[in-house]
Amino acid sequence: MNKLTIYIDDKQFQAEPGKSILEVCREHDIEILTMCHLKGVNDVGACRLCLVEIEGMSKLLSACTTKITANMVIHTKTERIKKYQRITTELFFAERNHVCAVCVANGTCELQDLGYKVGMDHIRYPFLFPKCEVDTSHPWYVMDQNRCIMCTRCVRVCNEVEGAHNWDVKNRGYQVRIISDFDTPWGESITCTSCGKCLQACPTGALWPKAIVQGQMKKNPEIIDELMERRKMIL
Amino acid sequence: MNRKKIATVWLGGCSGCHMSLLDIDELILEVAKLADIVKSPIVDCKELPDVDIALIEGSVTSDEHMNELLHIRKHAKVLVALGDCAVMTNVTGMRNYFPLKEVFDAAYVDAVSNDSEGSVPGHPALLHLNDKVVPLPEVVDVDFVIPGCPPGADAIFYVLSEFLNDRIPDLNETKKLRYG
Amino acid sequence: MNRQDLKTIIYAEKAKVENNKYKHKIGVCCGAGCISSGSEEVLKKLQEEVTTRGLDHDVEIIPTGCMGPCNQGPLMKYLPDHTIYQKVDCSNIAAIVQSQIIDKKPIEHLLLFADTREKPFRDAREDPFFKSQLKIVLRNCGQLNPERIEDFLVHDGYQALDKTLCEMSPEDVIAEIKHSRLRGRGGAGYPTGLKWETVYKYVNDQKYVICNGDEGDPGAFMDRSVLEGNPHRVLEGMAIAGYAIGATKGYAYIRGEYPLAIKRFETAIKQARKMGLLGTDILGSNFSFDVEVRIGAGAFVCGEETALIASIEGKRGTPRPRPPFPAEFGLWGKPTLINNVETFASISPIIINGGEWYSEIGTPKSAGTKVFALAGKINYSGLIEVPMGTSLREIVFDIGGGMQGGGEFKAAQTGGPSGGCIPAGHLDVKMDYEALTNLGSIMGSGGLIIMDQTSDMVDVARFFMEFCMDESCGKCLPCRVGTKMMCDLLQKICDNRATQIDLDRLEELAIYVKETSLCGLGGSAPNPLLSTLRHFRNEYQNRLIRHEQKDQIEVPSNIQV
Repeated sequence: MNKLTIYIDDKQFQAEPGKSILEVCREHDIEILTMCHLKGVNDVGACRLCLVEIEGMSKLLSACTTKITANMVIHTKTERIKKYQRITTELFFAERNHVCAVCVANGTCELQDLGYKVGMDHIRYPFLFPKCEVDTSHPWYVMDQNRCIMCTRCVRVCNEVEGAHNWDVKNRGYQVRIISDFDTPWGESITCTSCGKCLQACPTGALWPKAIVQGQMKKNPEIIDELMERRKMIL
Repeated sequence: MNRKKIATVWLGGCSGCHMSLLDIDELILEVAKLADIVKSPIVDCKELPDVDIALIEGSVTSDEHMNELLHIRKHAKVLVALGDCAVMTNVTGMRNYFPLKEVFDAAYVDAVSNDSEGSVPGHPALLHLNDKVVPLPEVVDVDFVIPGCPPGADAIFYVLSEFLNDRIPDLNETKKLRYG
Repeated sequence: MNRQDLKTIIYAEKAKVENNKYKHKIGVCCGAGCISSGSEEVLKKLQEEVTTRGLDHDVEIIPTGCMGPCNQGPLMKYLPDHTIYQKVDCSNIAAIVQSQIIDKKPIEHLLLFADTREKPFRDAREDPFFKSQLKIVLRNCGQLNPERIEDFLVHDGYQALDKTLCEMSPEDVIAEIKHSRLRGRGGAGYPTGLKWETVYKYVNDQKYVICNGDEGDPGAFMDRSVLEGNPHRVLEGMAIAGYAIGATKGYAYIRGEYPLAIKRFETAIKQARKMGLLGTDILGSNFSFDVEVRIGAGAFVCGEETALIASIEGKRGTPRPRPPFPAEFGLWGKPTLINNVETFASISPIIINGGEWYSEIGTPKSAGTKVFALAGKINYSGLIEVPMGTSLREIVFDIGGGMQGGGEFKAAQTGGPSGGCIPAGHLDVKMDYEALTNLGSIMGSGGLIIMDQTSDMVDVARFFMEFCMDESCGKCLPCRVGTKMMCDLLQKICDNRATQIDLDRLEELAIYVKETSLCGLGGSAPNPLLSTLRHFRNEYQNRLIRHEQKDQIEVPSNIQV
């Protein structure tokens, strides 16, 4: 297949058509920050962290959902993008309560890592302190809405990989919440297979197994992609 | 060279940040070469004089903290928020989900105790808790923040030594940024 | 039905009108505005009155669509003379029938604008309210009965479809629309012909036409009035679009809050199907097209095209990033054309009169007319249609009859929660897409709210921000959290608790949300804020706590650290 020539941060690259900007950047070790992206499931472009500037486009586009085109000139590290990444990170922290000190994922959390990467030392916006539920009704797992950043990775994994569609989203605006079945306790779910893939997909400490304590959570979100790749081999 | 003056203050926090400060161990001697710690929970001084650097642990939870912080702001050249509570309320802020009365009741009235007559203390000399806990930057202009719960001793020492040598620290560059 | 059959029906209908057995025709406005002020009772009472007087064979009573001056409703129009009575209630119907029908002279003090004009006009078309307007989209609104297809056929209904199918190729239609320079009336103003051509060029076994009737801006009711007043016109536009791009299926997405529009549009679909104007082999051609109504469930964001498509597909109504655009990857992954109600309603006049005719109306870059929902602190509000390039001054003072109670014009808000405001200094702005964009506002779908000196611009910004915050779908972070943060900051300013730092932060957030949001809702949510900041920054500044004041907070002397 004919490769396309594209330019990322003033360097020239050859890439196959049909690939997203994010895929090409990852192949060439060009760092793009992401939260809602998870290899193995469809991209939704919701976290807006992977926005890039493309010459000739007035709008910033999300690298995960935008396919490359010939001679595309992409900038991933402009001052504007860095500034917006910092604001996005702060808003993630301010939206719910991410008290790292008492979180199971402390030290292995993608959101925490993101904070370090953008150099966020404090949050300039007031915390919203929404009333969030902690669902402990499942025999093995816990869903803590306080840690949720609404990346919907669990929703997509459950739907696209496991095919159970236990998770979905309710409400709108800043009142959106992840729900199990029809907003019933997780433990009573008739669709959940307790496969635990959502726990691996979750970037923060919103989904975790009861068997661990603070700071012990180890997540392996890459198993989702591995699973999907192996399925392809079988099929 | 003028010796600098340092103050460390403990507001609404668990004192863990001060423990971390003590963890700088023998490096305190390096600090002592350049500055005096004139006011601190470990120093017997009642009034806050004018200082060059004020390290403040904990968030603002009461009227007393509020007034104290406003006072410090007037007397400190550099005000440093020390630790997650001071920077972003952290654990102390978790009571913000509940009305103040529920918080008091949980602590004093409904708590399991030998004494069945639990009541909320109301002596006029006691401080009054604010409805909501806020971090320092919502009350005063903060010059520098050291997040972490607690911040590492090396981060605290790094910041102190930079300020004492009239340099601006950068936690990000030195990879000393940490929360939780 | 083939072409000849249609002609026969039209001739028969026209003959009926010409040899009309009725000597008199009275229209009663049955648009949503007049119905809510009681026009259904008026209609009933009028019918009784006519029957009582034994005039059933002389007087035809027509429940019509919107007549325009909505705040004067219920409106009643003596059709032959275009005499409009305002604020009609059941008590003065007998007098009107007596005077207008029997004595053949109107009752002056009940005429339209009789209470505010020195001398009201017997022929309402002479009144500046109507005289300054040019009705293309709304041409037959307020004259015909929207629930009778025959009424529409008499007024050249489906003639454009007939012409398209029998005389034009899809390429011709697209060329004609391109030539007309019509731009999308949903708000963004994308050239309609270009959009049609793009969808036309994608080769696929199935394509779709979608009519966006999810009008959600507070204070806007253009699409509603068109759907209620002349649904067949929209249907015809959709069928023509279907022919042009090669689609056989159309969806009309109408918001659930418009039950009357839904009912009338569904009636129109049934009638058109019955007459063979929808269905297979329309008018003897080999073109087949059918339309279904989909009802929106009350989400503002479903007016955004990708969210609307998701909603039609039965999914949660949230937008997705573009590209790919719906023209390439739309409903169920097929090439899809989405246009607004008003755009579709503009199609048939263009086909009948030619693109050249249409392009000569308006300004060089924005051709044609625009319907506005005029509201606020002016004397006459309602539904108006003016050529692009009409100045705001004309709209406010000629059509709107000036400020209410002699107030002072302060600003006009256009485009609702996605738009901005135009201050008094720009009263002479020629209203078209470019001019409004240059002023930091947008044309939007056509909401136009006039404000006087009593309006507080910070509060206006806060109101619209609250609206966007409530209506954000919650999918992308900047819109979900950003609108909430901005709303809180605006509330802080309104409560006189904010400082300059808050204002700077608010401005930074506004630009951030505008540039990073996934869809148009978040992308335009900061517009009212940015626009009021641009034109009325002092109103924000005056509300701030000054830094000196902050330092004056006294520390009680008994508390010493």
